[in-house]
Amino acid sequence: MNQPELVLLLQQGDESAFTKLVDEWQDMVYNTALGIVQHADDADDITQEVFIQVYQSVSSFKGDSKFSTWLYRITLSKALDHEKKKKRKKRFGFVQSLFGGDDEDQAHSVEFDHPGVQLEKKERANELFNALKQIPDKQRIAFTLNKLEGQSYQEVADIMNTTLYAVESLMGRAKTNLKKVLSSYYDNKIPEQK
Amino acid sequence: MIEEALNSVDDVKRAEAKPFLFTRIHARMSKGTESVWEKAGWLISRPAVAFTGLCLIVLINVMVMMNNNSVSTVNNTEVAQNSTDEFSSTVATIYDIENTQP
Repeated sequence: MNQPELVLLLQQGDESAFTKLVDEWQDMVYNTALGIVQHADDADDITQEVFIQVYQSVSSFKGDSKFSTWLYRITLSKALDHEKKKKRKKRFGFVQSLFGGDDEDQAHSVEFDHPGVQLEKKERANELFNALKQIPDKQRIAFTLNKLEGQSYQEVADIMNTTLYAVESLMGRAKTNLKKVLSSYYDNKIPEQK
Repeated sequence: MIEEALNSVDDVKRAEAKPFLFTRIHARMSKGTESVWEKAGWLISRPAVAFTGLCLIVLINVMVMMNNNSVSTVNNTEVAQNSTDEFSSTVATIYDIENTQP
């Protein structure tokens, strides 16, 4: 079944087409969400929400872009919404604690271990993911799509609805900012190790 | 070390979604949409909304109290004026005393 056929069946409410859709795209959606939120359970939640939204709004997909591009956009939107909610919760954490709020969110501060990273590179990758959280969202998205999802700069531009030049600029700035963050991290870390 | 970190995800494999994802999606969709009350409850429970609502209630109370104070001041003035009028109608003036003829 090719993509246009799959989309057509989905728009007709075909359950088996939806099952096939989930089967085919679940890892892509999950990996993208995981790269942004850096938490397995949250990424799983987001993945479910993405597919539910696809099921509910597939009729609005006009075929102007590739289906994967549309799927990436929904995933990134859901992942960023999730991050904004987390930040809002932190901001009002004081008020919540007054009303006996739970400490669930404190568990999210643990180091993130991406399951796809080679064993010998895990430590450096953890440091990179930590640094990724500290750069602007657009740079983070471009870096995640290019490095974790293997998308070319042109594909990243299509997903982010921008130009190739803009993506090149985003990637350049992302690397510069990541180097700054990592440099500061290593400068603080190395004296402690002594 | 910085370059090592930047290159650490170069050969990364895609993470795999947790098993039985479709089952979880299906269960979530079967739960149905939230009722209006559930949505309202969620909205009210947000700290910003709750705090704003509380401030609004306090503000309305203060305005009502201020309004009541000004109304009671007007009432007191009216009572005083009425008393004065009543009193003034019974006070005998020089004309009343000297002008005894009808």
